[in-house]
Amino acid sequence: MPVYTVSNVQNLRICVVMVGLPARGKSFISQKIVRYLSWLSIKSRCFNVGNYRRQDAPRPSADFFDASNEEAYKIREQAVTQAVHDMMNWFADEEGVVAILDATNSTRERRNWILKLCRENSIEPMFLESWCDDKDLILRNIADVKTSSPDYKGVNPEDASADFLKRIGKYEQVYQTLDADKDRDLTFVRMINIAEQVIINRVETYLESRIVFYVMNLHIKPRYIWLSRHGESIYNLEKKIGGDSSLSPRGLQYAKKLPEFVRESAGDRDLTVWTSTLIRTQETAQHLPYRQLQWKALDELDAGVCDGMTYEEIEETFPEDFKARDEDKYEYRYRGGESYRDVVIRLEPIIMELERQENILIITHQAVLRCIYAYFMNVPQEESPWMSIPLHTLIRLEPRAYATHVTRLKADIPAVSTYKGKGTSQVGENSSETNKSLHVLTDSNTNN
Amino acid sequence: MSSNGPTDLFNMESPTMNAGNHMARTRRRWSSTSKDKRPKLTEMTDGVHEEVETDFISPGQLYSTESGRLFHAGKILIVLVGLPATSKTLLSVAITRYTKWLGVRTSSFHVSEYRRKMTACEDHNNFPTDYFSAKPKTSEGRSKRKQILDKVLDDMLQFFNRDKGQLAVYDALNILVEERVQLDKIFSKMNTKVLFIESVMTDADMIKHNVDMASRSADYVGWSQEAAVSDFMHRLKVNKQLYEEMTPKEQLSYVKYINFGERLIVNNNHFGYLINKIVFFLMNLRDKKGCVYFARCGTSDNDNYIDDELLNSEGTAYSKTLTDLVVKLVNERRAAQATSYPPSMEHATTPSAGSPTKTIGSIGGIENIISPGPSSRSMSPSLSPLLTTHASLKRTESTGNASVRQPVSGDGGDEDSFVVWTAPRKRTFDTARFFDEKGISVRQRSQLQQLHPGVVADMTGSEIRQSYPEEYKEWLKDPYHYRFPRSESYHDLAVRMEPLLLEMERMRGDILVIGHESVLRVLYGYLMACSCSDIPRLCFSRDQVIEISFSPFENKVRRVPIVYENSSCLK
Repeated sequence: MPVYTVSNVQNLRICVVMVGLPARGKSFISQKIVRYLSWLSIKSRCFNVGNYRRQDAPRPSADFFDASNEEAYKIREQAVTQAVHDMMNWFADEEGVVAILDATNSTRERRNWILKLCRENSIEPMFLESWCDDKDLILRNIADVKTSSPDYKGVNPEDASADFLKRIGKYEQVYQTLDADKDRDLTFVRMINIAEQVIINRVETYLESRIVFYVMNLHIKPRYIWLSRHGESIYNLEKKIGGDSSLSPRGLQYAKKLPEFVRESAGDRDLTVWTSTLIRTQETAQHLPYRQLQWKALDELDAGVCDGMTYEEIEETFPEDFKARDEDKYEYRYRGGESYRDVVIRLEPIIMELERQENILIITHQAVLRCIYAYFMNVPQEESPWMSIPLHTLIRLEPRAYATHVTRLKADIPAVSTYKGKGTSQVGENSSETNKSLHVLTDSNTNN
Repeated sequence: MSSNGPTDLFNMESPTMNAGNHMARTRRRWSSTSKDKRPKLTEMTDGVHEEVETDFISPGQLYSTESGRLFHAGKILIVLVGLPATSKTLLSVAITRYTKWLGVRTSSFHVSEYRRKMTACEDHNNFPTDYFSAKPKTSEGRSKRKQILDKVLDDMLQFFNRDKGQLAVYDALNILVEERVQLDKIFSKMNTKVLFIESVMTDADMIKHNVDMASRSADYVGWSQEAAVSDFMHRLKVNKQLYEEMTPKEQLSYVKYINFGERLIVNNNHFGYLINKIVFFLMNLRDKKGCVYFARCGTSDNDNYIDDELLNSEGTAYSKTLTDLVVKLVNERRAAQATSYPPSMEHATTPSAGSPTKTIGSIGGIENIISPGPSSRSMSPSLSPLLTTHASLKRTESTGNASVRQPVSGDGGDEDSFVVWTAPRKRTFDTARFFDEKGISVRQRSQLQQLHPGVVADMTGSEIRQSYPEEYKEWLKDPYHYRFPRSESYHDLAVRMEPLLLEMERMRGDILVIGHESVLRVLYGYLMACSCSDIPRLCFSRDQVIEISFSPFENKVRRVPIVYENSSCLK
């Protein structure tokens, strides 16, 4: 019997149908929802109609989006049909749970067509409209689009802006907003100027309400999130896992250096420090001159009966468990302890809180940090438990509308490696020859 | 075991006693000679209306700011707006319960309660009937109305100024623009944000139901049903003519709550997280027809924390009895509620809520598109043991018809749903085995994992006192928040379980939660608004099922004995 992370999702399929003019943040919202749900192990995918359209019309001008341009209309129609077709197949073949149809879906006719398809296939449609008449907000979005949209690759920014505004104009001619009366029977959400006014109509499942709540907590103010593991601990030196040991002398050195180190990255920004309840994270945070909060939810993955053992001892004492864990590290639950999935569930309130907060420094543990990092960087479940996150390293995340930027700062204080590759009981980065996830922190600086 | 204060720590079972003798242990805990001062469940009433003490710390508090207020939200007044019979009282009580639990110092102020209390000694025949109008025509009505509203206002001001309150919920008509502007003015001046929640009902069935409820309220004791309804309808009519619905023109922050959550409109939402949380809560709040049941899991051989075992024979006997008992309780209540519906159809062939997988196959033309859900098991086509209700019939009619809205497929959406939640431990889900066999939905919920006891796992009170004397002392001071090394506190557990509370609110039918005592304490603590000091001391034994039923003003508890063969060792 499976364990569900959010609601019971048995036999539940939701199609979030985005509605809105271009530059209303639809793609931003779509991507965030997919990231959040995937992280919670709810199978979700975004179907972006623009990507389908680009296969036939890679860089169209604004006239392409004129409703009276019949030839172009056909291409656009094909794109939408193909996207919806793929979406339905995805629901069926891959047991998808939440699909996001990211398109303008600007006419009632189009929406009714999707509605009918959903109903025929036992999929619950939820229409999510982002409506905006705040000029500044729209202009900011346009600025983002013209630098990031493949439609304007190689076009100079001013021309791109002008063309894009024209394109929006074409859509405005046919746009029909969700109507409180005509659409009263649908499940829909209308977000007006981000969340100044929100209309929530007939949300009838917990999962949908969760999505709405999540979207209401999103903000796009600039901010940073810093992540660090605790300094090197006595247990790290002894190659033991878990426990509640103090820092080693080198770990204490890291703690001492941390304030200066953080200031280098944060400047004069005010921030709040979140730690776990374990001694090693608090010792690491002890010199930081910021407000500090302890969260039980940030405690390290509980290794149950294996707590306080070395990997070698575990392999010896519980050989089958040791193997089982390597085979499916995300799902494996230590006897009397936790799995990565369990950790993700208890971290959920932290993520919701992080979304609405501004500058936060989190000092926590390897497994927990992997989970938080995986959320912001969209790292798939198969990979996240294998990511290498070295000690004495400060990671800075900068969530932006279309991607999260990562900077990694290495403190110049040596520490042991606690990384354990697949199929070995030895720790250390060199012990594993085939570790494809090592690159996660070293090579890529952004995700998509 | 110590006879002072809470002794059972986290593990109900004390390992010093022989395995297999659980009922004897249980009896010890419940015996009348015990000097144990633990609160007994029978005496517990819903604490949602109890005053919050100044040093009150709530169960679910994530963290507080220096001002002692949560979420940087400052002081907030929530003003209910709406005609009589629009569930304002239910809403204000539910919000109070939830925010109190979240750690916000909340109090609700019901004008109807004030009126009843303040006029208890007066001659009711002389009570000015137009008091119930938002604009009384007689001077007696006006002065009475002013007298009572002024008193409520005073108390709310005092709650903020003297009692360090953070959130007051004001339950009165407030249907006039002028009243609302006045409130906003008074409280804004003292840096208190004002949020209006306007409950609007247009659904005739809902109104009828609410009027019916009102006619049975304390105001109409001794009245005939007819006279009560007609009197109440008069109150409604008078106010309907005066009602000024809220519009953006008033420039106030408000949530319009239409037909009990069918639609919510959030306006001028500048209050941030706490208000978003309340909106999230309102999205999930449903008018419940069913009950929440709590039961312990059956016994296994070792019954230690670390072991993950299936049930032993005693445990199996227990779970069999439990299954029959809960199904019987659910059916009895449904039969009683069904008087207005078609006669009971116990053996009807309509698919029931317990087996949603069965409905899937019957939807025309989709078999080739929709593969079975990620987890659908091949279930025996056994008929559900539950009574079919109006809701199940309606659902069958609309399924597969693309021209109408489809029935909800999530758990608990319909009033005739019945879902069993268990922890992911073998002991607990094995206890639900017979429900599963009957085709009732059984869900393992990771959040129901019992409280992690850390280093004191499977230790008795005296063992702990010996091994961890300092920690033990600390724990006695605050068993709710104290964590033994590596353990979870009840507070940690509550934070972890919060999502389940909202899911529970959404489910309209029956829920049975089978779990460890620690988990049941937290859920019970939420539903009955217990304080932090009570929650770790609540007792749940294997010889009782706890049934919690919902009503607008307070929730009620009933305890039903479980009698099965092995319980003979009790006597």
